[in-house]
Amino acid sequence: MRKYVEDLDFHGEEHINEWTPWSPQDIRRKKGVLEAARLMANSALTAPVAGGVPQTEVQLVYGQEELEAIARKVEEIAHKNPAWKEPFLYEAVMVRDSDVVVLIGNTRCHETPLDAGCGMCGGGLDCSHFYEQKNHRYGLVDTTDRSSSRMIDGPLCTARVDDLGYAVGSALWTAHTLLVDARAFASVGMAGQKMGYCRNSGMVVGVLVAAKSKNPYVDVNVDYHLINMDKVLDNTRKIYQTARIIRGFDYRKWIPKPPKTSQEDE
Amino acid sequence: MGHLIGTDCYQDHLLNVAKSIVLAIHKAPQITGKTAIEAEILWGEDLIPIIEVLEPLAPVVRYLQWDYETIKGCYEKGQSPVIINIGGKVNRSNLNWNCGACGFDTCAEFNAYSKEQGGGGQLGGPCCNWKILDYAIACDWACAAAWQHKVDNRIMGSLGFALQALNYLPNSDVKLGLALGPARDMVYFSREEIRGVLTYEQDKMDMIRSIPTMFAGFPGGGNPMYKTKQDWWAPPEFLGVGYSEAAMEILQQVLYEQVPEIVVKHADRVAARYADVSSGDGNGDE
Repeated sequence: MRKYVEDLDFHGEEHINEWTPWSPQDIRRKKGVLEAARLMANSALTAPVAGGVPQTEVQLVYGQEELEAIARKVEEIAHKNPAWKEPFLYEAVMVRDSDVVVLIGNTRCHETPLDAGCGMCGGGLDCSHFYEQKNHRYGLVDTTDRSSSRMIDGPLCTARVDDLGYAVGSALWTAHTLLVDARAFASVGMAGQKMGYCRNSGMVVGVLVAAKSKNPYVDVNVDYHLINMDKVLDNTRKIYQTARIIRGFDYRKWIPKPPKTSQEDE
Repeated sequence: MGHLIGTDCYQDHLLNVAKSIVLAIHKAPQITGKTAIEAEILWGEDLIPIIEVLEPLAPVVRYLQWDYETIKGCYEKGQSPVIINIGGKVNRSNLNWNCGACGFDTCAEFNAYSKEQGGGGQLGGPCCNWKILDYAIACDWACAAAWQHKVDNRIMGSLGFALQALNYLPNSDVKLGLALGPARDMVYFSREEIRGVLTYEQDKMDMIRSIPTMFAGFPGGGNPMYKTKQDWWAPPEFLGVGYSEAAMEILQQVLYEQVPEIVVKHADRVAARYADVSSGDGNGDE
């Protein structure tokens, strides 16, 4: 059996800590989350789907610049609809607080439907609700015109969207099993899709994943887009610097002390 | 002190596993946080109406035939599957997201359409796509919870059709059935109960109809011969495509005559189940 030198050199140490953000010790932690996210992707791909048909694609996104870009896209979308505004702004904060974004898309819901006449899209006994609104020739959908005034270019095959839900569910189940925090978001899915991630898909769901002392996706405070850990830290930097200036001294010569008590004088 | 032996003890336990799965269904995460999900557990004689609804459909729809034969076969052997009916309220949107995924510009337009046209599909419909995602995540968690307990299971649209037709969980507009157990390997995959149900010739014809390219001869002439028999060239056979009055008639007869007849037969008993259940979260039979 061939032995590799690195096999004989198996020793080392790794310091892992979420503080300070983006430090080597934090990035080692993030790499653990990335491994979990990869297993989540596998779970999404092996989730039960109608007819066992391959139809799921996954894209993992990580890194400071990449997550910031998604967060900004979520913020952009937030302002397009009053119903989205505040929740999506909150969720943009969660993107920045995440380690990995798992984007899960269904590659068939807009182009190659189940064609089973299940009625889930339009409530009838055939697939006419889907096909009558699509540019198609004898049931072959032409998706080359990708312009759309809508956030999602529907209608979609709801049976396929149902299958997308199974993929997302399995990814979330694996996250729970691995004890990493994860949650599925419409906002992140729409942002990811608009940015070109999962580009073969008609619908995309974004799953945020993190392994931090505090789950980033629960227990948010009011006005979370204005009051969150990043903002609190930045506000501390803003306030504390000035606090130093207003009462500075030359510590080499003198250091302010509380007045001595009578007992200390004795 | 005690002694447990035989199928009864694990059949009983299957019910406890089903309860754990229902817990997982309700615990499942949601994207919208606004989708009503409910579930109920059925087994034993309560499967009879479901089996009866599937019976006339079985000769018409192959995948449904497999589910029918399996559930009926297990039940008749005294190894009743336990079925979890998972229901969701997905045919209205209270999101106001106006995302367009349903094919309408606004949720209000979708809701108006759904009110007018809804409920005519085999599995209900139309559906808000974000709500069906929530529903599917719950169904997926049910499957995952079942596998976690090492219980053979399969989520079935066929059961969904039967449960919808019989109006189980009347507050829900989409339903799927998760069949569980009995305790042996591969009940719902590589199914033992369908052994000998079809002849080899019927199996072969299913393949020819479903995957015609596998059987196509040289296509250069524009109308290829099809290799449907050992000496496929003598005489050659060709594939025909056309409207089948016979096929459509059978389907219509099953869907609009035979199934409704069975539904009516069980309607009062099914309705009585929910008479005392005020909210959608209730489990009328437990």
